Amino acid sequence: MSTIVQLVLAVGDRVSLSEASALTALARDSGVAAIRLADTPDTLDPTVTASHLAGVHSGIGFVAEVPTTHHAPYNTARRVSSLDRATGGRAGIALLAGDGDEVSDATAPDPAAADPARRWSEYAGVLTRLWESFPRQALIGDQEAALVVREELIRPVGHDGVYYRVAGPLDGPSSAQGRPVVVADLGVLDPAAVAESADVVVVEHAAGADDALTEALRAVGRDRREVTLLGRVPVGSPADVLAWVHEHRLDGVELVPAGGAAEVAAVLRAWATEAAPPPTLRAALGLRAEVAA
Amino acid sequence: MLHLNVNILNAGVFGGSWRFPGTDGTASYTIEHYTSIAKKAEEAKLDAVFLADGPALDPGIKHRTGNNFEPTTVLARIAARTERIGLIGTLSSSYNDPVELARRLGDLDHVSGGRFGWNVVTTAGPVAARNFGRDGEIDHAVRYQRAAWFTQQVVAAWASRTRFASPQGRPVVVQAGGSSDGRRLASRVAEVVFSADQDLEHARAFRAEIRAGAVQFGRDPAEIVVLPGLSTVVGSTETEAKRRRELLDELLPDAYGRGRLAAQLGISLDGLRDDEPIPAGLLVEPDEAGGSQTFYRVVKEIIDRENPTLGTLLKRLSGGGGHRIVTGTPEQIADDIETWYRAGAADGFNVMPDVLPSGFDDFADHVVPELRRRGLFRTDYDGTTLRAHLGLGLPALEGAA
Repeated sequence: MSTIVQLVLAVGDRVSLSEASALTALARDSGVAAIRLADTPDTLDPTVTASHLAGVHSGIGFVAEVPTTHHAPYNTARRVSSLDRATGGRAGIALLAGDGDEVSDATAPDPAAADPARRWSEYAGVLTRLWESFPRQALIGDQEAALVVREELIRPVGHDGVYYRVAGPLDGPSSAQGRPVVVADLGVLDPAAVAESADVVVVEHAAGADDALTEALRAVGRDRREVTLLGRVPVGSPADVLAWVHEHRLDGVELVPAGGAAEVAAVLRAWATEAAPPPTLRAALGLRAEVAA
Repeated sequence: MLHLNVNILNAGVFGGSWRFPGTDGTASYTIEHYTSIAKKAEEAKLDAVFLADGPALDPGIKHRTGNNFEPTTVLARIAARTERIGLIGTLSSSYNDPVELARRLGDLDHVSGGRFGWNVVTTAGPVAARNFGRDGEIDHAVRYQRAAWFTQQVVAAWASRTRFASPQGRPVVVQAGGSSDGRRLASRVAEVVFSADQDLEHARAFRAEIRAGAVQFGRDPAEIVVLPGLSTVVGSTETEAKRRRELLDELLPDAYGRGRLAAQLGISLDGLRDDEPIPAGLLVEPDEAGGSQTFYRVVKEIIDRENPTLGTLLKRLSGGGGHRIVTGTPEQIADDIETWYRAGAADGFNVMPDVLPSGFDDFADHVVPELRRRGLFRTDYDGTTLRAHLGLGLPALEGAA
């Protein structure tokens, strides 16, 4: 299959909101699978930005960066799930490893625990299980019988871990793609930390990444084909980047143009393909069309 | 000038709304439900759309559709598809991190071009508490202490934020909560108060108290807009409106109505027949109630005043919780709105249509033009921001501690 492209935009910093809107349309028409919205002190909130851009342009996925820091997992699960349903199953989260939040810290089961990678693993697990706690098949809306849901299909997660306690279930049903896509960056995180929950893994150092990921996935009973491995690159000629992708058995690239809107547009034109937009973000990223929720 | 918001409470304020004939029972689980009502509200030149919220699955979900989208994502989408309508979202002070919330809400205000309002609430109940590591709900007084602290943190963060300013300076602060603690918070920080009242005299006194309280905090009472919730059942004739209301009562799933009332009062209704009165002896004073004291008080007052049977009370509330319900023709509803407005009981209303979207279509198409004929409501927007719609300036709250 063709090389998957995810484009990183720092909206509010290097590109304005209106520029981001134009670039979103161009990216969609260029066959880009998803826009990843960077979260820095100089960007607009990625979930707000994603929701806004998705309200203007359909047919492309949005991955919002959200750090564990300042975000309680139940709130993150709800918000990204809302975005996923609103986009018809075209949303994901790039969960960034970090610290806790003011609400969860007050009730942290082990107040001394502070390892970002372990926190990430626990947090990502809570997200995926919350997203599966209210399968959309449970929503029946039987007006005659006065039954909104088949309650027996909705299950609390009852999570009781080291960093968080979260009862669940989520308050809304799952999306057309089952649940939002989870993107993990290797660096602070190693393959073992992300093996259980990640759908997409992003690396800067590609050498050996495929083998390490394959091994980590096998250790938790998953197959390498269940995860999309992307190499993160600033820019460069598509031919050189593609050679790098093939050399290291990556599934695609995450493009991080350093400049403003004009440079991003030039990059998109250089990478353009003529693929019809797939029905969900999962499909666009070469993942199974739907996760069984 | 009168102010009107529409509260997009999933399928409508009535417990049986999602079963109303001609209604798509699960439409409120689609984003289009919210964006299309918002567009309609903008065509009718309303001040804002309003979204209630709580971070939990409603235990009554089996028999009634619930709120199921997170408000900032819904409002960011509505902002992309509308130009002028204000966007008010409920975000909990109990279960959010103030640093994160200040940034997200400020950015939403920027992205929407200055149309956002934050409805500060405290979140009651053990169900939400358990999603954030707690075994039970936070004590009422502690929730309000935190709300006051939390709101100050957020407002201060907005004041120090220069990178993504919005045309209205900062989001409008809305407060909903009529308890003693809630009224204090409203006088101190609220620019819009979303209240619940059944009685005109009581509402007048409430509004006067909030305004007087604001003066004590050094604020101009004209900078506070009090909007009681108003549930509407519109018919082209009085008979038609009454029939619509009766049908909604019939459609109310009994188990839902009973479950919601029991939760609201904090007592068990098991074994109580529909023709028996509510056992008033089991009810504590409102200030001692743990959950939402506002709705507890409203329902207790009905019980104290009328000693209704359980069946009568369930019909009276119709799964709506305690906001006032007016049933009638567009003229009759406009009469009611005008009476409250002219009496100083309200600066406008947070309109809660019985069934969505049909009940709001009727309100927008028939009640709003009637209010306009009477010179009570705008024919077009004067400004582009929510503050402009509400006639609010940018107040100084920092010294209000």
